[in-house]
Amino acid sequence: MAEDLRKRWIQLSREPIDITEAYQFLQTPAAGGLALFIGTTRQWTAGHETLSLTYEGYESMALKEIHRLLDIAVNRWPIHRACLLHRLGEVPLAEASVLVGVATSHRPEAFEACRYLIDRLKVQVPIWKQEHLADGQKIWVQGTESPEPPNS
Amino acid sequence: MPSFKIQLYSILKSKLQADSVDLETQPGITVSEFLDLACEQYPTMAPYRSVMRLAVNQAYSRDSSIIQDGDEIAIITPVSGG
Repeated sequence: MAEDLRKRWIQLSREPIDITEAYQFLQTPAAGGLALFIGTTRQWTAGHETLSLTYEGYESMALKEIHRLLDIAVNRWPIHRACLLHRLGEVPLAEASVLVGVATSHRPEAFEACRYLIDRLKVQVPIWKQEHLADGQKIWVQGTESPEPPNS
Repeated sequence: MPSFKIQLYSILKSKLQADSVDLETQPGITVSEFLDLACEQYPTMAPYRSVMRLAVNQAYSRDSSIIQDGDEIAIITPVSGG
């Protein structure tokens, strides 16, 4: 199952994420539930105002790491289709920076797998965001957890 | 002596104002020795030493792994995608 690349769609792109395209990719008669998580640029964080976010990635490794997370997910849950799309470069307010989509026969696995993928992406995948604040500062956001090598 | 080009991203790239830096090492050095040496050579990195991970050939490595001549090396600070 992990080897069937038609069942997964991974993309890093500087273009806006096309949510309809992701939905169409996930649609299959085998599925009874699709879970989609979309991460967006938030304006206010603990009292400071963000104007936009800029994402940078170590792209070749990010793609490998995303594939590895999907390998784990398809072994853990009966996933029919999964997609993980991340935008790089500047992402204006309210626009999508990331989309995780999972299609399964029943909804509990769809929610669980989707949650797993976005949570692990935020720790493991070498992509970083820089906040452009209203006061002119540009700040690289640092994650709170360090990534781990495989099988640990 | 093996010589490496270390790729930098995010905060380290900003602080060092470079996409990459070079490092010469003794042969047979471990990941954790490599990171210590990089911080010695480039003290601007040193405050981040405790949160640094080394990616070797596009995968996270263990502290005790040995780095081979020709490996692709990048320093990864805690990521913030999503």
